[in-house]
Formats: sequence, structure tokens, C-alpha cells
Amino acid sequence: MNCKDFGNMIHELVSGRVADKTTQLEALEHAGHCLWCARRLDEENKLTERLQAFAGSLQRQRAPLRIEAELLQAFRERKLEEGTPLFGAAWRRFWRGAAWGLAIAAMAATAWIMIIEWPRFHRGTSVVPSHVSTSRPQVSPNASRANVNPGSGETGATLKSDAKTPAAHIGNSQRPLPDESRSEATTDFISLGTCDDSQCMEEATLVRVALPAEALLAFGLGTDNEYAPDAMIQADVALGSNGVPFAIRFVN
Amino acid sequence: MADLTELRDEQLLRMMQAGDENAFTSLYRRRQGNIYRFVLEMSGSAPLAEDVTQEVFMALIRESRGYDPSRGPLSAYLIGMARHHALRMLKRDQTYVSAPQAEESWRDPGDAAPAAGEDPHSVMTRREAIDSVRQAILSLPEHYREAVVLCDLNEMSYEETASVLDCSVGTVRSRLHRGRALLLQKLTGGVKVEPAREAINGSRCLA
Repeated sequence: MNCKDFGNMIHELVSGRVADKTTQLEALEHAGHCLWCARRLDEENKLTERLQAFAGSLQRQRAPLRIEAELLQAFRERKLEEGTPLFGAAWRRFWRGAAWGLAIAAMAATAWIMIIEWPRFHRGTSVVPSHVSTSRPQVSPNASRANVNPGSGETGATLKSDAKTPAAHIGNSQRPLPDESRSEATTDFISLGTCDDSQCMEEATLVRVALPAEALLAFGLGTDNEYAPDAMIQADVALGSNGVPFAIRFVN
Repeated sequence: MADLTELRDEQLLRMMQAGDENAFTSLYRRRQGNIYRFVLEMSGSAPLAEDVTQEVFMALIRESRGYDPSRGPLSAYLIGMARHHALRMLKRDQTYVSAPQAEESWRDPGDAAPAAGEDPHSVMTRREAIDSVRQAILSLPEHYREAVVLCDLNEMSYEETASVLDCSVGTVRSRLHRGRALLLQKLTGGVKVEPAREAINGSRCLA
């Protein structure tokens, strides 16, 4: 062993970490011959003693008792939060799954409201066509009470015409409505009084809208108790070429 | 039921995870001293040592499953946590307290207390010697101080120290070597510790 080897292992030597007895003996033997290494070993031993004395003076140092009390309290609270470990874990998994399920359901409901219900809610008198067709309706401006026609195979919107009115002669060439409308019961078209000439009826457009049931009462149809307060009914509105509605009929 | 004091740390931890309060108390009493002293030796601040000890065990209560037995013993894991907490708190509070400040906050009545029949002069001498070591340790650069505190004061193995410091065993050894050399230099009044090579050069390395 030379001084370099001795220097490399001096700390292990003074702290008793040299596991190999032979190496330890070789190191001590080297220190016995080498004055420089012997002196160094002596200084390292003194330092180790001083460090050990210092460490010994700290042996009684402990955290205050109040910390143990506070930690025990925290441990008990944690145990209460979790319940028994098995149950607690299963319970946590259940709630985690339930929370995800609820979150997804809430998102779906929100999407449903935003896409479907919100426009319907805001529709009011606005036109949301569920079925749009073009036709040239014959209007009975004098109709006060609807004749409900189960619109079967008749052509176009089954309109009751009043031959005495000029408007009644307009639009004899109605085009047929789609099939689904044929099975619908409708009232006659009721004039809204916004079109005095035949011009606006020339290129009329029929628009299916949803209206509050109260609209029936406005036209003298139905009774107060017939519909729920917030019930909606469907109606076909005839729009003139200028976009102004001039006639309406109620469906079903 | 087995005596809790005979169980290993890892067994106590498992019992603690199962909700055993006695196991937690036993583990705390066994390990809190090491943690408290480590932070005290590193920082010189008793309040900080108290805070860190509490933080470490609170973290163990909250996340005891963070310990991986394959990475080392629980004692090293706890000291590693203490080191992280201490560094975090010290960064928050700027720096380690200086040695005189440390002396103020770190004064224990039992520190170097006289033994029965010991004369006052030797008590004072011993106390001075201890104070000088304390100040020398606190004045070491942080990474050397960690190595000295863990290996020499807490008698941890190089492997355990490497696990705590998250470095290699070789790094631990070199830091310890350098740290001890600096300590010697400080404790001998700033004089180079190494003997005058010229004087003994002739007798050197002959073996």
C-alpha cells in the first residue's frame, strides 16, 4: 500500500468501515512506516472523535411532544376520512366512477338543452319550420271557426275555399304536400288580413311553425281548458312573396 | 401480537397503512429523532427542524404508498424527504441561518450537560469544543455538509447516503473526503491541516 491508497481509504479506516481485515492491517502497517500518513491518520482520528462528541451531544435532541400529538390527530382524521382501508378504497373507486358518470350525464344534458331545447324555447312566434313546402293556398278570409279536415288524399293543403272572395280563386294549381301532411287533420286557412290583393298570394310559401296553444283562442278556436298552459301546437303559415304571413291553418 | 419495537420499519409502515395507530406512533418515535437532528445539524435552526419533522410525517400519513422498498430502507427515504422539505423551506426563507443565529436558536439545556462529578472547567472546555464543531459544520458548503452530517454524524452507509442525496457512492465519498478536509482546516484555526510535506518528504511513501 502506498500513500495514495492510504489516503483513499483513510476515512473508511477511521470510521471502521473497512470490511476486509487484511486491507485494514495493511493500512495500519503503512501508517506505522510512513510519518506523513501516520500524522494524517492521527488528525482524522481526532476529527472523528470531535464529530462523535458533537453527535453524542445531540443524541437527546427530539422534536417536541406537541408534534407527536398533532400528527396523531392528523392520523386519526385521515383514518376517519378513509374509513377502513378496504371499504375506503372501494368506496373511493365507486365515487370516482359515479362522479365521472354524473359529469358525462351533465355534459350530455347541457348539449341537449343547447342544441334542441334552447331554440325551441326561444322560438316563441319565430318560425322554425319542421316542414316547409310551397303551395298556393286558397284562403277563406271569412272563416271564423275551423272545419277540421282529415287531410287524406286531397291535393295540396286541403283548403276550404270561398268562391265569393277574390282570393279564393287564386292558386288553383296547388302542388301536393309531402305524404306525411296528408294524414294530418288541419283547419281551413284563416286570413290574417295582411294581404288585400292577389299579388302576395302568387308565390306563397307554406311554413310549419310551433305556437303556444293560446294562439288557438286568439282565432276563436278551442277552449281555455283544452290545452295545458305551456302546450305548443303546430300550424302552417302562408307567407306571401313579400315574406309577410297572410294566412294560417292549425294542424291536428 | 408482536412487540412493535421489534418490527422493522417497513412492517410498521404496512400496519400504519392498514390504519394501526400504534404502528404509526412506534414508527414516529423510532425515526423522528434522526430526522429532527439531521435538519438541526444541516440548518442550525430548531424551529425549522420541528417544521420539517412534522411535514415529513404528515406526508407519510397522506402518501405512505410513495415509498418504494426496492430503492432503499425507509429510514433513508424519510431522511430524503426531510432533505427535500428542508431545502424547499430554506429556499423560501432565502438561506441557511448563519452560525451565530443558529447558536441562538439551537441551545438545548441538555446539550453537553455535565456528567456526575465532572468539574466545571472540563464541562466548559467540552462545550466550547462542541460549539466549534457545530460552527465549522454549519459553515461548510451545503453538499459537503450533507455528506458529513449523514455519514459521520448519523452513521449512515455510503449507499444509504447516496440514496438520500440521489447521487453515486463515489460522489458521496469524494464529498465526504472534501468536507472532512475543510472541517479539519476550520477546526485547526485556518491552518492547512496537511503536515509540512517538505519536513517529512524523505520518510514518505517508502513502504
